[in-house]
Amino acid sequence: MALVLKRTDMKELAQLYDRISMCTQCGNCKYGYEYGPTENFAAMLCPQGDKYQFEAYRGSKGKAALAKGLLSGMIEWSDKAAHIIFTCIGCGACVEMCETDIKDYLQRMFEALKSEAWKQNVAIPEGVRKWSSTIRENRNPYLEKHEDRLNWLPASIRESLPKKAEYIYFVGCTASYRQKNIALATVKLLQKLKIDFTIVPDEWCCASPLLRTGQYDIAKEFIEHNRELLGKYGASAFITTCAGCYRTLSIDYQKDPPEGYTDKFGKSNFKVIHTIQLVEEMIKKGEVEFEGSFNYVVTYHDPCHLGRHAKVYDSPRNVLQAIPGLKLVEMYRSKKFSFCCGAGGGVRGGFPDYSIETAIKRIREAESTGASIITCVCPFCWRNLNDAINASKSSMKMMDITEILEPIIKRK
Amino acid sequence: MARGSKEILQKLEQIVGPDYVSNEEAVLLPYSWDLTWTEPRMPDYVVMPKTVTEIQRILRLANHYRIPVIPYVNATNIGGLCVPEEGGIVIDLKRMDRIIKIDPETCYAVIEPGVSHAQLSAALKATNPQWEGYEFSKGFEFGWGVHPASASVLAMAINHGIGHLNGRLGINSQLISSMEVVLPTGEVVKLGSCAFSDSWHSFLPLPRMDGLFVGWMGTTGIVTKLGIWIFPIRPYKDVLTIAAETAYDMTRYMVHWRHYSLCDEVTAVSWWLAQIPIPYPYQEKPKDVPEWFSYTVISGWSEEELEYKRKMWKKVVEEERARGTKLIDFEYPPEAKRGRTELPSRIIGSTKNYSKSCGGGLAWPGTFAPCKSWPILYEKWKEIYIRHNLSPAVRFTDFQGAHYGMLRAMTPFDKRDPDSVRRAKEAMIECIRVGIPLGMLPYKPPVEFVNELNARADPGYIYLLTKIKDMLDPNNIMNPGKLGIR
Ligand SMILES: Cc1cc2nc3c(=O)[nH]c(=O)nc-3n(C[C@H](O)[C@H](O)[C@H](O)COP(=O)(O)OP(=O)(O)OC[C@H]3O[C@@H](n4cnc5c(N)ncnc54)[C@H](O)[C@@H]3O)c2cc1C
Ligand code: SF4
Ligand code: SF4
Repeated sequence: MALVLKRTDMKELAQLYDRISMCTQCGNCKYGYEYGPTENFAAMLCPQGDKYQFEAYRGSKGKAALAKGLLSGMIEWSDKAAHIIFTCIGCGACVEMCETDIKDYLQRMFEALKSEAWKQNVAIPEGVRKWSSTIRENRNPYLEKHEDRLNWLPASIRESLPKKAEYIYFVGCTASYRQKNIALATVKLLQKLKIDFTIVPDEWCCASPLLRTGQYDIAKEFIEHNRELLGKYGASAFITTCAGCYRTLSIDYQKDPPEGYTDKFGKSNFKVIHTIQLVEEMIKKGEVEFEGSFNYVVTYHDPCHLGRHAKVYDSPRNVLQAIPGLKLVEMYRSKKFSFCCGAGGGVRGGFPDYSIETAIKRIREAESTGASIITCVCPFCWRNLNDAINASKSSMKMMDITEILEPIIKRK
Repeated sequence: MARGSKEILQKLEQIVGPDYVSNEEAVLLPYSWDLTWTEPRMPDYVVMPKTVTEIQRILRLANHYRIPVIPYVNATNIGGLCVPEEGGIVIDLKRMDRIIKIDPETCYAVIEPGVSHAQLSAALKATNPQWEGYEFSKGFEFGWGVHPASASVLAMAINHGIGHLNGRLGINSQLISSMEVVLPTGEVVKLGSCAFSDSWHSFLPLPRMDGLFVGWMGTTGIVTKLGIWIFPIRPYKDVLTIAAETAYDMTRYMVHWRHYSLCDEVTAVSWWLAQIPIPYPYQEKPKDVPEWFSYTVISGWSEEELEYKRKMWKKVVEEERARGTKLIDFEYPPEAKRGRTELPSRIIGSTKNYSKSCGGGLAWPGTFAPCKSWPILYEKWKEIYIRHNLSPAVRFTDFQGAHYGMLRAMTPFDKRDPDSVRRAKEAMIECIRVGIPLGMLPYKPPVEFVNELNARADPGYIYLLTKIKDMLDPNNIMNPGKLGIR
């Protein structure tokens, strides 16, 4: 049988056709596995497949099959096709397992599928449609007013910040409007570390939710706006405490395809640093010291956007291990084989029940380590995991690493 | 877009619950094709049962309405075996994924169909061979192939799968010890020792009724539990390599070496199969490199045991050289050596070595053939492949006992190009045609290969095959079309 490209009208997807057809349908991506000298790793890693079970939902195989089916005209668009596309979180676990030449294009394919779905008369999840219709006006996906973006910031701190600084702390929408605890902890931490930074009132959503749900047209204006901020405020780099913002600013804005979107939005070139990398660097250089300890057993959840997407696995662990009193224990599924919190790719907004169900699975795994605290470095993961803790009546406590660090660290 | 009938859908929903059945095209699509050139055909429903009772009820329903039923786990069989010839219900068995037991004293495990190689290998490695709590060594293994780690151990074993211990222990269908099957008409039967107690250790000394379900490609029933023998992992391993100019010389060496039954595996690959990935389309082999490369894996309980095997191997090579067999020294890169001893492999299994970037197609004439015919057929296959602009990426593997072994050509092709698909299919059918008279038999055969087999079969063979099929599956609902007789 041959899978000939027929639907060239689906431009976003059709331009990936040559890569998509490299998928052999081997199904390696449906289950996590690695040979080890003394023990082999084996675990279900795809949250979508874990929930919906059928082949179409398991790993990238299902989505590649759908893309092939649509492009070759074997099947037509339907609400079910949209469901398969939008329940994929884009966590990237399947990408780690794939070895053929589609591998590097899988993320792009997930997003191109979503982008094509918007052009069809199919059921885009209501929750996603809702924020999509207001994001241009609000500059955030939380249906909140843009003017309120800095409401979390106490006036005293706001007044103490310089107009121009070396770094701009790019707060991100979740920390600005929901997980204000993390924004506040970050600001206090940066101040204690004597970092020359400022916060800008005209920060817009980094465009992560737009790109991850295939809304390229809207994303364009956000990217074009944000990339001017460094020049405007005379800063040399962004600092962020959000894994999603980090991925978007450092990869989507700056890298050529298949990783980034410079083909669509032009090339940017600036430095982005995650708070955890900054702290790690300062610890390495001996520039900081701890004035207290944190005597808890802690497990670390790798945010997909920082871990698998940006390959930052060690920095948070190095920082955690440097904290006096803290005992770090790993979950079975960690680093490149981590299990997603269930929030990304528009899933938290689009399918709240499935999203929390996924997060509860992660909390159960965290509990099995014996840790009392689950930590991460992403406000969006924080939010979903914390909701899961509450929904499942878990005794675990959710903390961002900045929240652990801030009270006990200081610049030497 | 929905397929099938609402009435059947509702009945299936009553059996497994609405979350585990679908008749929507977008969900059915991945069940309509596989890696091979088999023409895609849509099923009408997919259902994912969790229990044996659910399977019984599905089969009774299918019998009542005469609906085809296709057992499915991952469809990586490279034979189009799960492509529904006549539509019907795909039973995706992945939710039945329990390792029911691992007995580290009697050395067997009992698994459900959805248990993957990944899952089982991890569990076996974590279990130590022992007696009354006294542990002899670390970890167990089964015969691991070079397929995706997500593939089913049960589906592999009951279809004569070939694992890495094939030289020492034979193929995986020789390592099964008991089974539970749901017959097409819905009855549950146990075969082997498990029919009498909860011990799943052996089929013998009973009549081998398991043969009614082994090698039948899901056409006679659904195996719901399988007992398999498991083996202690030997801590010492080495990979010995040698090249040869011709398939004839390579076969001479292999036959001599396996005479001593000292290796876990001895395999030879043509230059085209040794390339990563296999060249597509056909590329000429450089003049100054050998045409055949072989590896043999030896294992043991001590360095002395390994050293003895190395010594015997060197003796074989020397003796062969002395009688004129042209063997050429070569060393595998460490990466390739690891690939042979670290199975199941995420890397190899993902098809990277075979069809990484040529357009998604992968198929093979995969056959069992007497060793005598390997070099003869290789030359014939090579001519056929080159004529079809395909690389003759051929493999010989000797199976335990010096009787026969694998002869197969791993074949990448481009699914974007109808001509490429046609060439691959035609070349493979021609290979089967020339091979059968020389004792070659295709395994997990696509319908096109089965037709070639049946055309040349002894009439008594077809008579009994048909009679058994009719007896077990009177309404021909189980994976119909795959045996080429109904
Ligand atoms: C790159 C690559 C390399 C491979 N290398 C090897 C190798 O080295 N050795 C080897 O043996 N195989 C190999 N294979 C083939 C295949 O992967 C294995 O045989 C595999 O274990 C099949 O598992 P599956 O889950 O894909 O089974 P499926 O393809 O889903 O099923 C195989 C057959 O069994 C039937 N079936 C499935 N479950 C049941 C059941 N419970 N009861 C009755 N019938 C059932 C199906 O209808 C079908 O006919 C390879 C495949 C690939 C893609
Ligand atoms: S996406 Fe990669 S791993 Fe998954 S089926 Fe396709 S080729 Fe195999
Ligand atoms: S990106 Fe994540 S959710 Fe989507 S198919 Fe891959 S593993 Fe599953």
